Formats: sequence, C-alpha cells, structure tokens
Amino acid sequence: MAEMKKAEPPKDVSQYKGIMVYLDSFEGKLTRAAHEMIGVGRKMADKVKEPCIGVVIGDKVDSMADDAGKYGCDEVYGFESHDLSMYRSRPFTDILSSMVFEKKPNILIVPGTKNGRDLAARTAVRVQSGLTADCMEIDVEPETDILIARRPDYGDSTMSEIRCEKHRPQMATSRPGTFDLPPYDEKRSFKKEIRKVELKKDQLREEILSFKPKGGEDITVSKVLVSGGLGMGNADGLKLIEQLASIMGGSYGVTRPVADLGWAPRDHQVGQTGKIVRPDLYIAAGISGKPQHIVGMMDSKTVIAVNKDPDAEITRYSDYVINGDLYEILPVFIEELKKRKKMKDKN
Amino acid sequence: MIELALHLVVLIKVVPDGKEVFVDPVTFTLNRSMATNIINPADENALEAALQIKDQTDAKVTVMTMAPPFAEPFLMECMSRGADEAVLISDRAVAGSDTYPTSLTVAAAIKKMGDVDIVFAGEKTSDSSTGHVGPGVAEFIGAELASYSRKVTYENGYVTAERELENGIEEVRIPTPAVVTILTDSNDPRRATLRKKIDAMKRGIITWSLADINIPADWVGLRSSPTVVKKMLPFPRKDRKGEKIEKEKIPELIDNLVKSGVIRVEAE
Ligand SMILES: Cc1cc2nc3c(=O)[nH]c(=O)nc-3n(C[C@H](O)[C@H](O)[C@H](O)COP(=O)(O)OP(=O)(O)OC[C@H]3O[C@@H](n4cnc5c(N)ncnc54)[C@H](O)[C@@H]3O)c2cc1C
Ligand SMILES: Nc1ncnc2c1ncn2[C@@H]1O[C@H](COP(=O)(O)O)[C@@H](O)[C@H]1O
Repeated sequence: MAEMKKAEPPKDVSQYKGIMVYLDSFEGKLTRAAHEMIGVGRKMADKVKEPCIGVVIGDKVDSMADDAGKYGCDEVYGFESHDLSMYRSRPFTDILSSMVFEKKPNILIVPGTKNGRDLAARTAVRVQSGLTADCMEIDVEPETDILIARRPDYGDSTMSEIRCEKHRPQMATSRPGTFDLPPYDEKRSFKKEIRKVELKKDQLREEILSFKPKGGEDITVSKVLVSGGLGMGNADGLKLIEQLASIMGGSYGVTRPVADLGWAPRDHQVGQTGKIVRPDLYIAAGISGKPQHIVGMMDSKTVIAVNKDPDAEITRYSDYVINGDLYEILPVFIEELKKRKKMKDKN
Repeated sequence: MIELALHLVVLIKVVPDGKEVFVDPVTFTLNRSMATNIINPADENALEAALQIKDQTDAKVTVMTMAPPFAEPFLMECMSRGADEAVLISDRAVAGSDTYPTSLTVAAAIKKMGDVDIVFAGEKTSDSSTGHVGPGVAEFIGAELASYSRKVTYENGYVTAERELENGIEEVRIPTPAVVTILTDSNDPRRATLRKKIDAMKRGIITWSLADINIPADWVGLRSSPTVVKKMLPFPRKDRKGEKIEKEKIPELIDNLVKSGVIRVEAE
C-alpha cells in the first residue's frame, strides 16, 4: 500500500545507479518480452557503464536467473516461493518495490505484458516515481543518466518523448514485440542470488482459481502473416486471406475496423491497440497503412502491399507494392504457391 | 447472512472520439479539431460491469471523474444508464496531472466516501492509453486488484474476475475492497432510459474541489507529476523502397521470396 501523498523526489539522485529489469515469466520460463527488455537494459547499461540488474520472481527461479545472465544481466536476483508460481499483483509489487528500495536503481524497465503493466503501475506509485507506458524507444542520455522514453501519441502520427527527471527510478514499459532479442552467450559471467521468501497471509488475499490456456494461434510468433483491411469489403474476404496464409504455413491478421466490425476476432488485430508483430513476411491486403496499423508491423522483414490505390500510405512501408484488387491479386499468389507445392510433392 | 448494500464506484474519463481523429496526409500530424468527445470506451464497459452487479444485488453505483465541468453531460449519461450518483472532481490545480496525481486524487475521493466495496476502472483510456490509473488507485487505497478483467461477479465479500491475459484466461478471487479494471468490448453497455434520465436531472451532480477531499493543491498538477512530455517528434518513418510489381510478375516475386527463404513451400 502506498502512502497518500505526493510523489516526493529523492534529495540526491546521484545515489541511484544501475538499470533494473523486471523479468516476467510464464510456467517457469522467461517470456519473450522479458528477453527483449534484457536487451534494452544491457544496451543502456553499457552506455552509462552501470550494472544491468535482473529481478525474477517465481516458484523455481534458478534456471530463469541463469537465462537472464546469459542474455545480458550482470546481476540477477531471484525470489522463490510456492505461492509465487503465478503472477499475483500484491506480493509481486511488494517484492519488486523492496528491491527498488534496496538497490536504488536509476532506471527500472518492465515488460509491457498485461501482468507486467499491472506490476509496473503499482510499483511506480509505491516507490513514488514516474512511469511511461508502451515505449517504442527506450534509451539513456549518458551525460545526465536521464531515461529517454518515446511513445506513440494518440492517433500515433507523432511520438512524445517523456522524461522523469526528478524522481527515481525512472520507469518504462514496452509492448511485447517492440524490440529484437539480445544475443545469448553461454559463457557470460554474472552474479546470481536466489532468495527464499515467506509471504504473509495478507499478501496472499488473491486466490487464483483456474487458468485456461488460450487456444488458437498466436500471431506474434508467426513467420508469415497475411493481413486484411477494410478493402476486403465484407467478412467473407477473410477466407481468401486465411487461405493464402495457411498455404504458406502462416496466420492471418486484420486492421482494427475489421475487428470492430466483428469480421475477425480481436486476437488477430495488428497495431497500436492490437498486437505488435515482426514476421519474415507481412502481406497487407486492402490496408491503407494508417500509423496506428503501421506501428504494429513496421519491423516485419519483408512487406508486400496489395492495394487498389497506388498512392495508399502503406506503399511507403512496403518493399513490394502490387496495385490492384485483392480479389484478383491474392488468387494469383495462391495458384502460384499451389503449383510450387505440387512440384515439390512430385520430387 | 444479510447482505448490506454494496457501494460500487466507476471511474470514467471523457476522451476525444478516436474515429474522428485523423492524420493529415501531408503534414503527417494529428488533426483532432473535428473530434467530439465520448466516454472512454473501456469505461462504458466498466459501468456496465458495475450495473450488472447492481442488477443482482442491492448496490449503489457512483460514477466519478476528475475533469473540467465539460464532463458533466457524460456523468448525466452514466446516471441515465443506471448509476445512482455522480461525482465530478473539478479543480484548476489538477491541470496537467500525469497518472500519479490522478490516481492520488481519485483515491482520496474514494477514501472520503468511506464505504466503497468495489472500484471499477477501464483497462486503459483510448487517448493516453496507459492503464495506470486503476492499479494506482488500488495501491493508494490498499485494495486488492484484478486488472484486465472481462467478467466480474460478486458474492459474500468476494469478487471473482476473469482476467484475460495474452496466453489464457485466469480466474481470480479477491476480497473487497477491490479494484477491477475492465477490458474494452467485454460486454454490451446498456442504453439510457428516459425515466432514468429524468431522475438523473433531478438528482444532479456532486462536485468536489481538492479542498473537499483534503488534497493540497501542490500535490497535483503538472508540477507534481513525475513524468513530463519533453517534445513531440514525427512518427518514425521507416520508408521502404516500395518496388512496383505488375500482376504478371508475381510468379517471379514468389520465386525470389522462396529463394531468399522468406517463403517456404513445404510438401503437404
Ligand atoms: C486510438 C486509435 C487506435 C487505433 N488502433 C489501431 C490498431 O491497433 N490497428 C489498426 O489497424 N488500426 C487502428 N486504428 C485505426 C486506424 O487509424 C485506421 O482507421 C485503420 O488502420 C484503417 O483500417 P484499414 O486500412 O483496414 O481501412 P481503410 O483505411 O479504410 O483502408 C482500406 C484500404 O483498402 C483499399 N482497398 C479497398 N478495396 C480494395 C480492394 N478490393 N482491393 C485492394 N485494396 C482495396 C483502399 O484503397 C484503402 O487503402 C486506431 C485508431 C485510433 C484512433
Ligand atoms: N481523470 C480521471 N478521472 C476518473 N477516472 C480516470 C481518470 N483518468 C483515468 N481514469 C480511469 O482509469 C482508467 C485507466 O486510465 P489510464 O491510466 O489513463 O489509461 C480509465 O479507463 C478510467 O477508468
């Protein structure tokens, strides 16, 4: 519980050193978002020549702590208890905040998964500091040790640079998929400390009754994504999109209005309020390319746009542009790919 | 056991209507001069979630927002849908507050009410989109929290919520006082009725200043917000070459993509 008072900045910010990274996990493994954040933390740590400090909380944390070290943390602190096998808002906030008070990091970054955002928001209040959500760029200014956090604005045609100059730690989250994974080094040396924690009853008021894993595909891990926008004209258009996706072993995505109309489930929406994807191939069919969509797919390796309008904004973000009706163009792709499959089958 | 009336508080924020915010194709900047205001979409779902509990149990629903007086008609709309009471926290000093002082102010108002069992907030606002205020309020009032919930029920002092996470649905049970944040589109918000609207007009809106909730003016506003927007930058333009491909050249394009390993055609 936080004190009801204004956020008091520390008198001497120079006492705050190091980049702390909260490492969220699922079923005993660090999430992809946690790995991304280690990469971000590592880069900043090198820049300011301060340690990158990982914090992992769970039931068994030893192998996750090793993982964090090999991906780039200099020090890893693990907190272990049977009661912490799944995320629980209060005890996780208690532990992360106590680490902030103990280590006094200058910066604290947290993966922007739902649980991560829950934790970051509470921790920011508990430690009386400032938090910037959904950053697309996170960096540190070496001269001042100030965190540069940039996030898309409402409507996403601009980015705001947000700073937290007086309060510590300076905090930020980023959506999963925003950053590349850091390199893994089996031989990296790092400090590891595992602490067993005893939780009090009042920290465990939240009871987890059940967890049902979500079926269906996770578009953030697909290598190939074919996405359809309002240019499909109707819900049936999705069949064509899905057909092309499945022939390449990929999945399908949609723009927000397509999900709004109920033509496709929200889980498949790409963009600012959907998912951030970075497949090897992204085919955007009947998508105009508004910034809110672009922010979700602009790190794809190869982008092909299929659009009736030769000047649609999407063309600026595409490697290849095919001008035409998606109902004429996509079948060509399907036919050609089928042919190649058949040839392979014969061989 | 006798169920005493529950007190549910719903936090709402008035935001510009996203559908009317558009990007100027020439300057690549945001034009919201045409935008009208709406209740933040997730907050409509939060209100509906609270009203559904009121349908089942004896409960009082209070809607609350920290905003300038222009928010009044939106509070009236919430009462016309079934909220019993509306509180507007309005004070010049709060201008420019980030999520820390916003959570603090809202929490102070909840504390003033004294008897609040469940606070409902949206998972996030569509304009600032941080999702920090709900968890922040939980922290200040010392309540349990179930964020990103799509379904909430109440029974005998406990809230059961279905939290929708990236990889699954988690069902949690927390005792009151509790804060729940509600997902956008998680239910169908009911419409206002004329009778309720007339009732709402009779009842009016309660307005509190910072003094009414014992928050010093220098605890809030831009100066007491840890985060500051330093500058606006253009959206990063990762321009690509946009090579035009004629329909006839698609087979060639596919060949190249297969060769470079972007597409794999595996035998079925
Ligand atoms: C706060 C906020 C958050 C948002 N979040 C997201 C988000 O997460 N994801 C998202 O996608 N959007 C989001 N949006 C909406 C976004 O601004 C755009 O409105 C949306 O991306 C446009 O979708 P679209 O490209 O499908 O439709 P349109 O903009 O209508 O474009 C349709 C395109 O299809 C082309 N076309 C039409 N018919 C055909 C045809 N037969 N064959 C080929 N091409 C054709 C047209 O030339 C046009 O370019 C958000 C908006 C706001 C305000
Ligand atoms: N000024 C405010 N007054 C009342 N509630 C708010 C205010 N700002 C945010 N909220 C609530 O907190 C939720 C999350 O907001 P945000 O953290 O701004 O994304 C919203 O959906 C509202 O329920």
